[in-house]
Amino acid sequence: MRFSELWRLASTVYKEVSFQSIFSLRAGSSLPRSGGRDIKQLVANARINTLISKLITTVFIGIFAGIIFLPLTIGISGHTMPKQTAVLAGVSAFLAVVLFLIVFMGLQVSTSFVSSKITDVLSPLPLSKQEISRIVFLCFIRIFDIPLVAAPVIFLAVYAFIGGSILGGIVSLGGIITAEIFALSLTTVLARFFYLKVTSAGGRSKWQTLLRLVFMLVWILPTFAAYFVVNFATQIVQSFASLMQGFSSFSQILVLIFPFSYGFLASSLAFFDQINYTLLALSIAASVAYAILAYYCLGWVTQTVRKMGVSAMGTGPREIVKDTLIKPQSPWLGIIRKDLRVASRAPSYASLFLLPVIQTAVLAVSFSSFSELGLTTALGILTGMSMITLLIPPTLSSIEGLASAYMRHLPMKKTTLISAKTLLSIFTYMLSLIVLSIVALLMAKSFTLILTYGVIHGFSVAAAIMLELTILTRKFWKEGFAVGNLYSRLSTYILIVIPGYILAAIPILSAIVAFLFAPIFILPAFLATALTEFTLMTVVVMLQE
Amino acid sequence: MSKKKQANPSNYAQGKVHHQPTRKDEHTQIEHHSQKRIKAANEESHESRVEGLRLETMAVRVEGLAVNYGSFVAVENLSFNVKEGEIYGLLGPNGAGKTTTIKVLVGILEPRAGKVEVYGIPVSNEVPAKSQIGYVPEEVVLLDSLTPREFFEFVTSIRRLDRENVNNRLERFATAFELKQYFDTPIAALSMGNKQKVAIITALLHDPKLLILDEPLVGLDARSSKILKELITFHTKKGGAVIFSTHIMEVAEKLCTRVGIINKGKIVEEGTVEDLRKLVRSAEGSLEDIFLKVTEQEAGMQDVIKALEEE
Repeated sequence: MRFSELWRLASTVYKEVSFQSIFSLRAGSSLPRSGGRDIKQLVANARINTLISKLITTVFIGIFAGIIFLPLTIGISGHTMPKQTAVLAGVSAFLAVVLFLIVFMGLQVSTSFVSSKITDVLSPLPLSKQEISRIVFLCFIRIFDIPLVAAPVIFLAVYAFIGGSILGGIVSLGGIITAEIFALSLTTVLARFFYLKVTSAGGRSKWQTLLRLVFMLVWILPTFAAYFVVNFATQIVQSFASLMQGFSSFSQILVLIFPFSYGFLASSLAFFDQINYTLLALSIAASVAYAILAYYCLGWVTQTVRKMGVSAMGTGPREIVKDTLIKPQSPWLGIIRKDLRVASRAPSYASLFLLPVIQTAVLAVSFSSFSELGLTTALGILTGMSMITLLIPPTLSSIEGLASAYMRHLPMKKTTLISAKTLLSIFTYMLSLIVLSIVALLMAKSFTLILTYGVIHGFSVAAAIMLELTILTRKFWKEGFAVGNLYSRLSTYILIVIPGYILAAIPILSAIVAFLFAPIFILPAFLATALTEFTLMTVVVMLQE
Repeated sequence: MSKKKQANPSNYAQGKVHHQPTRKDEHTQIEHHSQKRIKAANEESHESRVEGLRLETMAVRVEGLAVNYGSFVAVENLSFNVKEGEIYGLLGPNGAGKTTTIKVLVGILEPRAGKVEVYGIPVSNEVPAKSQIGYVPEEVVLLDSLTPREFFEFVTSIRRLDRENVNNRLERFATAFELKQYFDTPIAALSMGNKQKVAIITALLHDPKLLILDEPLVGLDARSSKILKELITFHTKKGGAVIFSTHIMEVAEKLCTRVGIINKGKIVEEGTVEDLRKLVRSAEGSLEDIFLKVTEQEAGMQDVIKALEEE
């Protein structure tokens, strides 16, 4: 079969994968009740959403190249470092960004790629095994096509702009292709790992539950890394630069590590002014080794993706079941336990675990830069914390969409559902607050303000969570909840998150107003607004039935 | 079972063997008596008394149900009743409106119009109405990442079931359906039949008054099918009611007390298989023949089959 024909077939299959990644149909969501025209609209929306996801990744790569790499290399952002070092740091950081952003994007879609079991549809057709494998692989590549093409194009444009040599450009291009192959390999490894160790792993012992949690944390590491790369890009580039500036013996080890090997090689070949031949030789050897490794990785990815497509992933060993005992709890506790169990195994909901980790890590990092923790700083930190916390309710609500066609027949009260998810969300907020207080204590900084205002703000955040959940629950009850995950339907979530943000911001605004006009009333104003919001939303939730 | 017991409508329901004509005749007579009583009551203008009588015996009451999907009318002016102790077969061709009707009954869909009650409770009164129902959906899609044990724990928590009772029932059902060995395997990794068993057990755990089973035999092995059919019969013997949707006419013929045939969103015929035979004047015909005739699918079908054969 001709390549164009294979590509066309892969496009049809890819459309189905996109659709499932948005609506999780196989996962049991019921589509909103609609006529045929609306369904066509939903199919079109699914394709647009997947396209947007690719474009967002591409834009991030572009922003990184434009804002971090370019100013550094042409010296317009106040950084004073040799051009060669700047290119070295820029190329290395850029390759790291490409690697992590593609992995980050891939993990969101690759799970749908596996669960859609595309070859179940293709196998009965008169296609050879080889043709099916090619279609599956092309479909996998289509998940990443725009960022894969855009990364080298954007980079080479920037590289040309700074006036690097052709040889340096070729090396950089080789580095980007290697980074992309590594990204595809890492996505495949993690998707495979996830299905073998997390999704397929049953068992009820505490040890197995703990093991599953550890596997889940391992699985989300690249996402965590991507977040850090994007948020601390400037610091990363500067660190890379300072590490390389010394050209010490440490550098000899560093040039052997990806992506520094390509970074050093590209910078040496871009500007020939100052060449350390030992390091150059080492970086050439390392880069060639990585290129060979990438070649073998590509072969492995091709094979594994084909296996993933034909559902030949296998499952973990089945545990011997001794009894059939279950422990029914109160409904709200049942909902919390179910949400935690689903979140610990479903990639789309891994963010439930990810968000508190990121939140704590970011806060701990930011903390060290403050000389003193005044009210403004405390309120700023609390705003950030509440904004991240308020992303959790939509994620938790979308769990109800996983089997909505079944779940909606259960005699579940809206109040119970909202209360359970509010408790789970606010737990994250309080946990972050505790971690923050501990960090402050360790750094010998006063944490009274953060703790006092944080606890009070907790009422406002709880009210905001209840508001979001009330909107979501009404939507869920009325038309079903056919959403895939947080990343694929941003528009749905933004409209729900905004009212929550506004509610959480009101006590902070009232404190600012009090600070401007009557500083003595800062705390009372803050407390009064937070408690009023909480009381009001509690009443609204209680009246839900 | 004694004749005395059979003469009582509720006892009849508890002990009936559905394909014995003598009992069906009796059932028809009982239906006639019941209708006469209601008619008499109406004539005497004792409407409230009649209403009370109906509510007492009716497990499900659907009147003038209408459901739309956008501009598409899925169900229009559909009415039927299911009494306690009755297995009501809901039959119809694909896309006729069976699953839509069932989804309204279990509270998944909201109707555009009509009155739907489960044991006298309007389905709009969600929690009490849903508490009466055990439901097996047509397409069993559960929380796939959970194990059956975890799924049962979640559903029994929502239903606030007593731990001891539920564990006793669960042990019995898990043994009967041979599901015990899969208790700690993620639902995603189970076969279609085992997923169906999880849904069936979940529907039975709270000992519901009304069982609503939408194609429950799909994917089940012969043993489990037999057990489920027996369980359905036991359920009605205890006074429970069952709404049973299936495409397997032989099963409906053997199992159901009455059948309602839906076509294009409306009940086109309703009654015992005997009633329907008389109605379509093909006393020797199977329920399948009756079904094809009533749903107007018989006409031209022979030509289609012939054309296929010639090809």
